[in-house]
Amino acid sequence: MARLTLERVSFWYPAMGRPALRDVSLAAAPGEVIALVGNVGAGASTLLLVAADLAPRVVGGRLEGRVKGEGGRGIVLPTPWTQLSGMAFTVWDEVAFGPANLGWPRERIAGAVDRSLAALDIGALAARDPATLSGGELQRVVIAGIVAMEPALLLLDEPTAELDPEATRLVWRLVRALAGDGCSVVVATSDLDALPELADRIVWMEDGAVRRIGAPALLAEQSLWEAGLATTVADVWRTARLGAPYPLTVAQAERRWRQ
Amino acid sequence: MTGGRLHPFTLLAIAGTLPALAWILPAPAGGAVTTAVALVLTLTPGASPGLTGSGSSPGWRPGLVVLRTAVLTAAPFWLFLLLLHDVPSTIAIGLRLTTMIASVVWVGALLPPGRLVEAMVAAGWGVTAAYLFAAALSAVPLLKARAQRIVDAQRCRGLSPRGGVGRRLRALRALALPLVLSVLHEVDERALALETRGFVPGARRTPLAPPRDATAERAGRWLLLVGCAAALAWRLAWRG
Amino acid sequence: MAAVNAELRFEHVSFSYGTVPALRDVSFALAPGERAALLGRNGAGKSTLLRLVTGLLHPAEGSVSVGDWETRGRPPESLARRVGSVFQHADQQLFARSLRDDVAFGPRALGHGAAEVARRVDTALAALELSAQAAEHPYDLPPAFRKLATLAGALALEPAVLVLDEPTAGLDRPLRARVARALADRAAAGVVVLVATHDLAFAAEVLERGLVLDRGRLAGDAPLAALLTSSGRLAPLGLAPPTGAALSAALDLPGRPVRQRDVANTLARVAAARGPV
Repeated sequence: MARLTLERVSFWYPAMGRPALRDVSLAAAPGEVIALVGNVGAGASTLLLVAADLAPRVVGGRLEGRVKGEGGRGIVLPTPWTQLSGMAFTVWDEVAFGPANLGWPRERIAGAVDRSLAALDIGALAARDPATLSGGELQRVVIAGIVAMEPALLLLDEPTAELDPEATRLVWRLVRALAGDGCSVVVATSDLDALPELADRIVWMEDGAVRRIGAPALLAEQSLWEAGLATTVADVWRTARLGAPYPLTVAQAERRWRQ
Repeated sequence: MTGGRLHPFTLLAIAGTLPALAWILPAPAGGAVTTAVALVLTLTPGASPGLTGSGSSPGWRPGLVVLRTAVLTAAPFWLFLLLLHDVPSTIAIGLRLTTMIASVVWVGALLPPGRLVEAMVAAGWGVTAAYLFAAALSAVPLLKARAQRIVDAQRCRGLSPRGGVGRRLRALRALALPLVLSVLHEVDERALALETRGFVPGARRTPLAPPRDATAERAGRWLLLVGCAAALAWRLAWRG
Repeated sequence: MAAVNAELRFEHVSFSYGTVPALRDVSFALAPGERAALLGRNGAGKSTLLRLVTGLLHPAEGSVSVGDWETRGRPPESLARRVGSVFQHADQQLFARSLRDDVAFGPRALGHGAAEVARRVDTALAALELSAQAAEHPYDLPPAFRKLATLAGALALEPAVLVLDEPTAGLDRPLRARVARALADRAAAGVVVLVATHDLAFAAEVLERGLVLDRGRLAGDAPLAALLTSSGRLAPLGLAPPTGAALSAALDLPGRPVRQRDVANTLARVAAARGPV
């Protein structure tokens, strides 16, 4: 029973002749983490907007094909500073903004916000003014704000772009934890090295279309490697002309090496 | 008692009454009184750093910041008036404008937009209307911070704020355009972000901390309204 | 092609925001052509240090010099002749009708003639492989390209020193590689490159020296390769060795290479010596 289904979806932004999405089909099951990989302009962001029911409804443009989603959806867009509500004076209020708009009772809101702040390790920032935060802190606040709404489908567009490595690991752990609780997650990211442990499936996008869908082992395949989309370890292994099977992570490489 | 404790509607009522009285009462005495009151109000404790736009600057000192902002914002208008009018008119109009500016700056410094939205939602207003109001108020400190960043960036590219009129105008373009463009460009993304967080027309928002509205304050607001009406009536009668 | 080759020198520099100290007694020198990474936790003082180089801030104690110019007494617009910089949110500085015009802003502001400005702009765009987008409106480009555009703007100043704050945040691998190439090229021409970053994979590829800031003090000044292979020194900064260096350590490769290409070559050599894997 899929949480999100895209059936042969094509999408054109307003007044654009070229489609941003071409004949894309994808289904996300509950508890699954799907990673979208591809270079700038491949269509990952557009796919996320369509999945979030923001395109074409709010963005405008034209859509062909079918999009079906069930449950609440939340999307974290790539630039954190444009996602502040502008109406919250503290980080706590900012994270509570979404749940408050859903009309939840106050106790439920408080619980969700506190859990969210803890999950993103920003409890210490709760009383700060969002306008004074650094890019990395802001990105975590924005993610917390969406997570607090407890969406069934979580869509993330480059959620770690502004984060340092420690915070990045935290966010990826959180994504796996949310999936463990039944949330479906679709994430567009260029942090390929994190994907073998993070993602259940990889979707390779190019020029608005899906080229391949498969397990993380995809990140060592020839065609992805040639497109610059292999993990660092797989890239090194192939460049060194060592044979298959190609390790994706340092741990895998170590195991193979010691055999 | 800090100004921040007052109910948002009370703050708005005061900020609306002063300019109204400034225009209703005979100049220059009326304007002088209201300007004095407005400027004294800017010294009210309770201004928040985030709203005065100086939250991130070091050594921020409360109290005088709001007064200084009000005076600095009003100053250019006095200059223009002096160029266009004779002294009595300048004083009359200048005092009225100063009252208005000081009141707006004061309420902007004291009233967090979130609090205003809470008050409006608790009073039964729709979220969208409340947001329009709040966004206008919160825009100033955000724009100030961004403007500073843009000034820094352009200076690091060689832009000199000194020089003749032509140079300064070109400099202004390099400072104002990026500000406007970057804000306009983000409007779409901001709209998307608000949508995804449930902020849509018709949303029944749970007020997180609706401001307390004491009976005394409500009575006070009515009195202000009545007072303005009375002043208007008196002025019209006195004139005619 | 830098007009001036200059050394960047910090001598016992201290700076505070009001009563809050941000930098304490920081001293180091970067010779022309040196490429250094500025590492440290958020709040350690990295941005403050970079702003001191541009003249946006002036040291309370000590001195910052770019060649024979002390920053004290010089406004940022004067130091722009020797210092090119890109900070966070840089893309908010873009405003011209085309990428080319925006990149030209810096050289024009410095007073160069039309031909010189055109040459600088073309060189800067080519360095970041943006020539194809030269006529586009900056806001028609994706955010990643706008970020590259601001770097092009700094390159067009043809400074002696480049200071960058997280230049690869939000960029995918091919674009990060472009930045790496452009910086390596500038350094080869004698430009001092100082980059505050926590993208250690990028740092491994193009930077050679590591300056570590901890609560305002310079806690470390060492060759970057040594820092990158030592989790002991990186962990207190909230950092971990980048994948290439981690692989190098896990497979015990001789010389502990950190650059991806070097790791691959060393791996190939060792594998060939070992026999089929």
